[in-house]
Amino acid sequence: MTTVHSRQEALLMAHLLRRAGFGATPYEMDRALGMGYEGVIDELLNPDHPDLIPDDLIRRYHVDQSDLRNGGGAHWVYRLVMTDTPLREKMCLFWHRIFATGTTKLIQNRVVTNQIDMFREHGMGSFDDLLIELSKDPAMIMWLDNQDNHGSNINENYGREILELFSMGVGNYSEEDIKETSRAFTGWRVVNPDYMSIRMRNNTARPYGYMSWQFEYDENDHDAGEKEILGQKGNWDGEDAVRIICEQEATAKFVARHLYHFFVADELPVPQWPHEEPRDPEAIDILCKSYFDNGHNIGAVLRTLFESDFFKDAGTRYARIKSPSEMVIGTMRLAGPIELPSEETYMADAACANMGQALMRPPSVEGWQGGTEWINTGAYVERVNFAGRILNNPDKQGVRDIIDRIKALSEVDQLSSNELVDNCLEVLGPLEVLDTTRSGLKDYASKFGNLTWSDDTNSDQFDLAAVAIIQLVVSSQEYQTV
Amino acid sequence: MTTTAVELKYVTNVGFAADFGGRGFSLPSSMVIRGDGMIFVVSRGKSSTKGSNGIQMVTKDHDFLGQIGTYGSGLGGMMWPTSVALDSEENLYLSDEYFNKVTKFDREGNPISEWGKKGSGAGEFDQPSGLLIRGEVVYIVDSRNNRIQMYTLDGDFKGEWGNAGEGNGEFNLPWGICDDSEGNIYVADWRNDRVQKFDPNGNHISTIAGGEDSVLDRPADMAVDSDGTLFVADWGSQRLVVLDQKGNVLETKRGEADLNPWAVEYLASQDDERNARESFVPVYEPDTGDPSEISARMEPYLWDPVSVEIDEEGRVYVLETGRHRFQIFERV
Repeated sequence: MTTVHSRQEALLMAHLLRRAGFGATPYEMDRALGMGYEGVIDELLNPDHPDLIPDDLIRRYHVDQSDLRNGGGAHWVYRLVMTDTPLREKMCLFWHRIFATGTTKLIQNRVVTNQIDMFREHGMGSFDDLLIELSKDPAMIMWLDNQDNHGSNINENYGREILELFSMGVGNYSEEDIKETSRAFTGWRVVNPDYMSIRMRNNTARPYGYMSWQFEYDENDHDAGEKEILGQKGNWDGEDAVRIICEQEATAKFVARHLYHFFVADELPVPQWPHEEPRDPEAIDILCKSYFDNGHNIGAVLRTLFESDFFKDAGTRYARIKSPSEMVIGTMRLAGPIELPSEETYMADAACANMGQALMRPPSVEGWQGGTEWINTGAYVERVNFAGRILNNPDKQGVRDIIDRIKALSEVDQLSSNELVDNCLEVLGPLEVLDTTRSGLKDYASKFGNLTWSDDTNSDQFDLAAVAIIQLVVSSQEYQTV
Repeated sequence: MTTTAVELKYVTNVGFAADFGGRGFSLPSSMVIRGDGMIFVVSRGKSSTKGSNGIQMVTKDHDFLGQIGTYGSGLGGMMWPTSVALDSEENLYLSDEYFNKVTKFDREGNPISEWGKKGSGAGEFDQPSGLLIRGEVVYIVDSRNNRIQMYTLDGDFKGEWGNAGEGNGEFNLPWGICDDSEGNIYVADWRNDRVQKFDPNGNHISTIAGGEDSVLDRPADMAVDSDGTLFVADWGSQRLVVLDQKGNVLETKRGEADLNPWAVEYLASQDDERNARESFVPVYEPDTGDPSEISARMEPYLWDPVSVEIDEEGRVYVLETGRHRFQIFERV
């Protein structure tokens, strides 16, 4: 028996799939509606498989993605487009944005790729575990110089940033807490720290290519003395520091505000958070309570968020500007699967960079602020051009499916140009657009007149018209929001 | 053929990361040894550094003798080179899986002809990889079409065998190809984790390794010595695996490269790197089981072994893409 879903159900589901993933293809939308809102949340939060990618094929045909000196962004793009566990992948983007680590300093892409792999494994689990793994992550250690943090002579970079940028935010700790936290992380380094540091500094692959890094705890370089961190005294090490940090109300609020910023509505830039109240304080309180009620489990907080009224509220739809990666990946997923080898993954990586979000190359340790920062004239033109290039071929599997579904909404072998626009917006979402947008699309489509696909010639012409409207829709203001 | 015990001893390595040309290689994909000892190594290069493609000429004694060909789409140009081979006149052949073509160079390195285009018909390729020349026949592994094609030395189509599958004579993205002293042909059936042996006309003789518990993991290439012993570049496990004709493992090598003269010369001019290297521990206990990641961390290990050659003295050469070098072993 075919179940008829209400328009409101469809709009809410489309909202969830845009925010918790990268939007939905028509097939994915049908499947999600069949599962129901709660069922989809369950699946998103509890992926039951590791989302294997054909790593052997990628490494054989994209040789530069095997040694991964370069090509890390393109390598990640493939998975982002092909994944069937989109929330897990989106959480990798979320953490990459906060724990921003860049190849600009580290030089090699492999260690940052390994860090993203770590986010994939721990990104929806306990925040304590995630921060411990982050503190052991070789890319993070070298990014924030913890290999220079010695028991006899501390380097405060990591101790400062774990408090300021990764957990609590400015105003919730003292300079003394930074020193004491740094002491707790002394001896947390990579194997062969001296040689690896100099190779990184000299940006050299000589003599035999890059070497990936491995975490190492040097007990002899660890300051085992008593420390006082955030008011708690003891012979703390790094894991103790993380435990103390994760118990703080400020940490819960910091994580909650980031999740709200990423999944619900654009917040103020992070540097303003110490001075400005959250956009929706009640929502932050709800998320903080979930954080503590669920043992700091990020997946549980996400469930609270997706099930909340503030997330489901119609006013939040299309209220955030898509990040470049959301826009690029969502559009590529609409176009259909990537064949290997693929030059499109490199093109997509470059497009993200041109739009202001170079994957694995954040602008600073503060990552990307997002919001209106994403849009300027140049970036908007890049978005329109990219979407046009990716969705230009009616024979691509995803584009073909969209066109076929546009046709299927008609009971006869023809559509008026107005119906073409309406059906296209329906299949590509459903995408809610302003009346002015809809009428503008219809004005443009009117040049096609009535369209039919009754024979091959007409069918080809219909395909071209449909592709033109699809390209125009993904160029619209509404498609740039999520 | 009889099987004898095999023990290999590391001799030296030749190579150096040369991303912008010059002495060394950049992500090399294949090698071949000429009778006079000249070794041709083709560099695939980084996609972002297009000048790093080319066929470098070296000797086992660390002489660097220049380069043939470079990045480009014209005659003699290359984009994703996959294999090099020599005919009896010492002309050099190069396959390219981007352009789906084979290019022929004369003994002086001048490009003289090319053939092939994308497709699945006669004279067409879908990502050609391994090359082998026996007498007047060029054997080309047409990887994505899961077949072996045969051509004359001038590129005229002579025949083909193979199709996609797991059975005898079937392939799953085959890669390297070689022959033995009796004229048999071996194909690295990459995604079937096995080697298949054929007569020169493509009649299946035997299958070596394979199946769920295969001793091989994505073999890229192999060479066979006069005893019939196979030396396999086992790309997936990042090892050199030595097998007898029945697939019994006689020896494995993870690699043990040290600093070759080119590396020593480089470090002599880099005080900070040389000094820091004094405390460098090249091999340590890894915290991962991923062979590729382990190779990325341990400098002496083979990293993406893709090509194996045996010289006239029986030395075994293993080319590794990730470390821009080949390691040389000799039988004890």
